Amino acid sequence: MRAEDRALAVQTVSERVCQQFLALPPADDESSRDSLEAILEDTIWHERKRLESGRADGDPDADRSFWRSISGRLHKASHAEREQLLSQVVRRFETEIAGHFDPRVYDVATRLIPVGLGLLLNAASPKLLFRHFPRLPDVTDRVFLRGEVSALRTLRDRGTVILTPTHISNLDSVVVGWSLHALGLPPFVYGAGLNLFRNPMMAYFMRNLGAYRVDRKKTAPLYRQVLKEHSTVTLEQGYDNLFFPGGTRARSGMVEKKLKLGLLGCGLRAYINNLMSGREKPAIYIVPCSIAYPLVLEAEHLIEDHLQEKGKSRYIIEDDEFSQPRRVLQFVSNVLSMDARITVRFGRAMDPFGNPVDEEGRSLDPKGRPIDPSRYVMIDGQPAHLQQRDAEYTRELGKALIKSLHRENVITSTQLLAFCVFRLLSRGHPDLDLYRLLRQIDGSGAESNGNASALSVREVEQALELLLDHVRRLASQGDIHLDDELDSASATRVLQHALRRFGSYHRRAVIMRRADSLSVGDPELLLYYSNRLTGYDLEQTIGHQPSEAPS
Amino acid sequence: MSETPQGDPVPPHPTVTVLGGGAWGTSLAHLAATASGRALLWCRRSDQITEINQRHTNSRYLQDATLHSGLEAVDDLRLAVSGANLIIVAVPSQHLRQVVSDASEHLQGDQMLVTATKGFEVDTFTSMTTVVRQETCLRKLGVLSGPNLAVEVMAGQPTASVVASRHQDVFTTTARALMGKRFRVYGSDDPVGVELAGALKNIYAICAGFVDGAGLGANTRAALITRGLAEMTRIGTRLGARPLTLLGLAGVGDLVVTCTSSLSRNYSVGFHLAKGEKLSEILTSRVSVAEGVRTTEAVTRHARRLGVEMPIAEGVNQVLNGRTRPLAVLVKLMARKARYEIERSDLAPPDSPGDDAGGSPMDHGPTPPAWS
Repeated sequence: MRAEDRALAVQTVSERVCQQFLALPPADDESSRDSLEAILEDTIWHERKRLESGRADGDPDADRSFWRSISGRLHKASHAEREQLLSQVVRRFETEIAGHFDPRVYDVATRLIPVGLGLLLNAASPKLLFRHFPRLPDVTDRVFLRGEVSALRTLRDRGTVILTPTHISNLDSVVVGWSLHALGLPPFVYGAGLNLFRNPMMAYFMRNLGAYRVDRKKTAPLYRQVLKEHSTVTLEQGYDNLFFPGGTRARSGMVEKKLKLGLLGCGLRAYINNLMSGREKPAIYIVPCSIAYPLVLEAEHLIEDHLQEKGKSRYIIEDDEFSQPRRVLQFVSNVLSMDARITVRFGRAMDPFGNPVDEEGRSLDPKGRPIDPSRYVMIDGQPAHLQQRDAEYTRELGKALIKSLHRENVITSTQLLAFCVFRLLSRGHPDLDLYRLLRQIDGSGAESNGNASALSVREVEQALELLLDHVRRLASQGDIHLDDELDSASATRVLQHALRRFGSYHRRAVIMRRADSLSVGDPELLLYYSNRLTGYDLEQTIGHQPSEAPS
Repeated sequence: MSETPQGDPVPPHPTVTVLGGGAWGTSLAHLAATASGRALLWCRRSDQITEINQRHTNSRYLQDATLHSGLEAVDDLRLAVSGANLIIVAVPSQHLRQVVSDASEHLQGDQMLVTATKGFEVDTFTSMTTVVRQETCLRKLGVLSGPNLAVEVMAGQPTASVVASRHQDVFTTTARALMGKRFRVYGSDDPVGVELAGALKNIYAICAGFVDGAGLGANTRAALITRGLAEMTRIGTRLGARPLTLLGLAGVGDLVVTCTSSLSRNYSVGFHLAKGEKLSEILTSRVSVAEGVRTTEAVTRHARRLGVEMPIAEGVNQVLNGRTRPLAVLVKLMARKARYEIERSDLAPPDSPGDDAGGSPMDHGPTPPAWS
């Protein structure tokens, strides 16, 4: 983001957010709390809670002092003074959020990426990286770009793009960043959690690759409002954005089934603002994107979190594999030095209403005819915001995006084998709920259930053959995509590929081969990788679906 | 622009076009013309258009009822829809896809469309709203349903209807377009429930016709209506409807009127079947369509697939297919084993559809249509 745009964004966002609250009707009774006081008190309460938790990021002492000052002034403040306090708070949030972009640093950063993705992946120090892994693999050979690549280039010229990838790893933003660079595109603006900024080197690169800071521990609605307005303003300024529409990494390993519509709605707000201001290229395009890894860096932590009932509400994981330099190193070393690949697939673009868009940037109706999308937001012939209507449009966009992310999902050999083995084992235990099943099929350690988790190689290959047929049929209809290596591979070859990868990185091999039988080394990871094929009615091909509710 | 007593500006009346010159379509166009002084009615038959425009009657469907003079009938679909703020579709369910498909190239995203057709696309079990969504660029869609016998509406007898839509402005616009001294319009944000209720009740109207045709009394009819409502709720909630919607105008309201009035086409079909007449003869003797005849087959087939118990609908389906007689259905229903009036499974349907994209403060939308 250019410095002058950043300054303008800070000013615009601050003005708009303040205006939204100042526009609220004043309280009837002078002595009662007015809406300004309410929003400020609410924000102070959320911030105090964050600071008292002892886990606050940034500069907690400075924050404490700031909020003490705001709180002290609030109760004696006149309405005009409250307006000033609100403006001060909003500006503080926005200044913190707004990224800094230096084209020279960007140039250096992007030239470094092809040399070694590992450099950016390393959350510790480059010294450690090079000591353990002096010859970094060239990611150019390892990251494959597929799908509507040419449309992505064209649409950037015709409007502003919001790239909406699936989110499964903290490496996603780096991989997407590299992919955009490889396509010759400038960096996309995106909100990265503060945990990604902890390492100074990472922070330096992240910031200069287009990232702005999102403090997920700040839960005040006012802060979220500022975040959304920041995205909206950058879109209006013509900066392409990167949104992870699921909001956080998918704990279960499944493709996103629920989206955060608040952020997604920024596209429509920006579009309407563009129309209202008569911008030359008002169009906003939403481009679905899927990222497929044969193995996932943080898989162990994510699935553990998913399976723990309490963990389901945990939004931020701070102690996962991404925070452990050696695990990152091991991942990069093991995954990228093999013939494994990461696939980034770009889907067909859509407009902020969920209509498909052609390469010319025209919105299409269900029959493929060009339509004028601005008509959706017209009131008496003029573009205008209408909260309930726009929320409904965004909900429809969300539904269309979920369908698209499922269609663009790229399946790897590890996911196929995991799905196959998990379904075969669950078919053998139809009475068990998911949690009991996971305990039952654990074939590792002294308490191994022996035959409960063992399958013959022949049986698995036969099931894999059926599964391959089915997914290839789906792929031919465009309902899913297959990693290039699966295009014509036999079941035997898929099995070999997957076993090799499963044994290469995780603490316990997900599936192990002993002579002519296969057993499960890590049932939770087996579930995690198999989940990527959920939602395609593939269960009938092999076995039943165990209930997630404990029986 | 004038003002309300509270000083708010009153929006102008929307420009309304009704597609379909049957009894209900004509009545709706009459209501719109009465409210605003003008409405367009699109129909195909030139003699009907001439009669409406010159004599202000539509005798084929509404005998000698006098239509508002501001109601203009046209056969040019482009002309009919291109200038309308609000389009109301009241064509038979089997023609709806073709009509909206033909209209689609003249439509724009800021227009609103409300379906007043009570039925499904039989082969695919697709709702009318879904058909519109599949064929057009329109998003501001709604469903109109309620206890609204066209003849009584045209006679000026007071009644009410419900408009369901996810877009608030569809409700406000439709209410403004149709409300008058004798016709009230309520709003709902459960289009799935309203659309299902309007289609499903026709099945029970046929069965109520069996009861009266067989000479049975008020007890039997009341029991049939109530158990019919239980079936509607069972399948409706399974398909995403809210139970309370089925207790509203589009549910109980429409069910009661259609199961008790001889003016109801579906009731009349059941009544004549119970009198021993053949279905083919009954259907050829009338100009209006009894949607329940087509709906029953689709609903029972789908209910079987979902494992939802619908004994009354199954019985009606068997009669319509000529496999049994009305009285035999009633006897069979009485012979069913004892059960609780409301079973646990009736209240907690498995796999009820949720909102895929939900969970955000910005998400005001109710449950999306799960049936198509």
